[in-house]
Amino acid sequence: MNRRPSRRAVMAGTAAAAAVGMTGCLQNPDPGRGGGGGSSERYVEGEVPGPGSVSILGAFGGQEEEAFMASLAPFEEETGITIQYTPDQDFTTTIQQRVGSGDAPDVALFPQPGGLFDLASQGHVTAIDSFLDYDALNSTLIPGFLDSARYQGRVYGAPMRLACKSLIWYPKKVYEAGGYSDQPATMQELYGIADEIKATGIAPWSDGWNAEQATGWVGTDWIEEFMLRVHGPELYDDWIYHRIPFNSPEVVEVFDILGELLQTEGNVLGGPTTIINTPFSEAPLPLFEDPARAMFVRQGNFVTGFLPEDILANMDEELGVFAMPTWEGGFEGQPILGGGDLAALFTLNDDTVALMKFLTAPEFGAEWAQAGGWLSPHRTFDPSHYADETTRRVAEIAANAEVFRYDGSDVMPNAVGGGSFWTGMVEWLNGSKSAQQVCDEIEAGWPQ
Amino acid sequence: MTATATRSADSPAVPPRERAGSPARPALLIIGAIGLVVTVWLVCNAFLAFAYYPQWFLHSKVIIGLLGLVFGIGGAMVFFRFLNMIIEGLPSRLSEGLIPYAFLLPALALLGLMLIYPTVQTVVYSFANDDSTEWVGLANYEAIFGSGAFWQALLNNFLWILLVPLITVAFGLAVAVLADKLSSTGERVSKSMIFLPMSISFVGASAIWGLIYAFRPPGSSQTGLLNAIVVALGGEPQAWLQIDTARLNSLLLMVILVWLQTGFAMVLISSAIKGVPEDTIEAGRMDGAGEARIFWQIIFPQVRPTLLAVFITVLILVLKVFDIIYVMTNGRDNSDVIANLFFRKLFVDQQAGQASAIVVVLLVLIVPILIYQVRSFKAQEANR
Repeated sequence: MNRRPSRRAVMAGTAAAAAVGMTGCLQNPDPGRGGGGGSSERYVEGEVPGPGSVSILGAFGGQEEEAFMASLAPFEEETGITIQYTPDQDFTTTIQQRVGSGDAPDVALFPQPGGLFDLASQGHVTAIDSFLDYDALNSTLIPGFLDSARYQGRVYGAPMRLACKSLIWYPKKVYEAGGYSDQPATMQELYGIADEIKATGIAPWSDGWNAEQATGWVGTDWIEEFMLRVHGPELYDDWIYHRIPFNSPEVVEVFDILGELLQTEGNVLGGPTTIINTPFSEAPLPLFEDPARAMFVRQGNFVTGFLPEDILANMDEELGVFAMPTWEGGFEGQPILGGGDLAALFTLNDDTVALMKFLTAPEFGAEWAQAGGWLSPHRTFDPSHYADETTRRVAEIAANAEVFRYDGSDVMPNAVGGGSFWTGMVEWLNGSKSAQQVCDEIEAGWPQ
Repeated sequence: MTATATRSADSPAVPPRERAGSPARPALLIIGAIGLVVTVWLVCNAFLAFAYYPQWFLHSKVIIGLLGLVFGIGGAMVFFRFLNMIIEGLPSRLSEGLIPYAFLLPALALLGLMLIYPTVQTVVYSFANDDSTEWVGLANYEAIFGSGAFWQALLNNFLWILLVPLITVAFGLAVAVLADKLSSTGERVSKSMIFLPMSISFVGASAIWGLIYAFRPPGSSQTGLLNAIVVALGGEPQAWLQIDTARLNSLLLMVILVWLQTGFAMVLISSAIKGVPEDTIEAGRMDGAGEARIFWQIIFPQVRPTLLAVFITVLILVLKVFDIIYVMTNGRDNSDVIANLFFRKLFVDQQAGQASAIVVVLLVLIVPILIYQVRSFKAQEANR
């Protein structure tokens, strides 16, 4: 009584099951999504009709998201296109994952160009010159900003927000009472003022590098600022794109220049130990103690977000700011180090192109500017939209920059810009390694 | 759809299956097989529909989530129902032997997919280059064994292994014994207090202890507890986590883990102490033994297996310690450990090969301890 299913029956059953499994499954109705982009043709409006909605992935949430959506409201009203914005704290990883799995957003706002280049090299992103007026855009933007999004000759991201780093903040009331100049023409002049401040018995500078596992990034900004000022933008570009080795004598020289500023006894409040242990957000606090315990903090425009509330309430009277001056004997023009969000397009259709045009227009962002915490990357942006005088001053500094350069550590490979450069700065500052040693190690760890 | 499938699956009354030597029942076998295929097909397509056609569900994440729960859990139930049918359709001689395997199989398959396969893959990748595209032989191992950072991390791991489990068990034992002597309210309160840190995540605990170790420039008011005490006693504030003399920073980080784990050790040891038969203690008392002698010669030998179990559990935890170091120092000033080094190699330096080699070393270190733990657990079971 052989009632066990024969081998043939089993095989047939398995095959049938497999067939059902393979053919009976739903197919992705839109397999092209996420794989698009990379077109080199000039896009003509009407070529691909839009579906009436655009999805955006970005890194910022909370209040910034609200302000962003508020500045998009006129666009939605005018065009009838719905915007779906998704904030993601872990943007850098998420965008790679989503594009890799064919689920790219229509538009992504990159906080750093690094990840954008990876995706552009894989052909996922459409270069902005195929749907935007490149020359018009370039003529209103801060000079050099577009170069930071250039990959193999073409630009893949359009700036929609500016972060300005080369700023020196001071406590206005105390500083003016001391009679110090707020317009030093060179770093050497600034050092002179610092010496005067030192003579009054307090440290001229306050600084903080602590950021938990990211401790040291403030130090990389310092090096970049001095690279730009001492050696000029061309060598700076050679350095960040690794056309010269990281341990070139010019770089080591800049470490030594910075060392004179930060490691000299009495120059910085508390010395290197304090710098490494102070969170970057707390560096400005000693400026506003009574009496003030330091006078200068070099930090980006976002630092105002960390000020004590009573200072924030009348920021224009309490807080002064000037651009970090040039280096005597170095590069002549006023350079500005900064960053910014770059809008990149993954899906090419009428709706996304309309949105990109809106986002990159020089007028974009009035609502966001009023809410605060946002700077327009366009020189022609109407400064009266900014909520306070301090922001207008920062915007003016950025607009008057002769050279703009993107934060180098954001452009370098992550192993350096988010790893060995950070730790190297800490090891160098606390004296456990020399400038030459640190530079050699970073160079040795540069990905091939 | 699934609901109807369930009902139709239920409707043929399941006959009692304890009849020995029953023959195969092809009808059940076929219904079961078809049902199984249909269930799998339905559930797979339901999830694909969530992804591809969100408009069918009104773009609502709540609806999709709820349906996902229904399809996921319901689908699993129906799947096992049909699987059971197939087994029952087999001759009982076969089915009785097969049933446990049939129900274990999905779990084992998942374990294989999520645990064994990645482990093997990691070992394989440890012989490949940074993006796992070419073989490099032993170069990764040469690189990590030749780097000072690796040996520093290994030394730190060794210190963690040496100190943390021992101190945790010692504290846990001490607290358990002392709490045992308190009134029942006192015992409850003190044990809850000591158990409380268990419910705090490693990162949360690091944030709390970050406040204790905080450093402000000399001359400003010290917000860190430790420095506030030092300054109040007339000392200079110290950047505690930067001091690697005698590995002080590592020791201070270990305190956090001990603080977190003492409660766990205490609970297990305490219940073991309570389980010591009263008559053995009384017998000791009658023979005139003092409290200390009763503890060391009567209680201690009886709770030893529990101590060992706690010790090994904490030991394995310590081998994997990562969060505390990542948050507090990220390995600066010689406080690195293997897990953090691995994380940095993989996600910051993007050197998958060396990262794999590092975890393979960690794996090799853990395996003997695991084997020992299983053995001692078996021995303990056998003694019962």
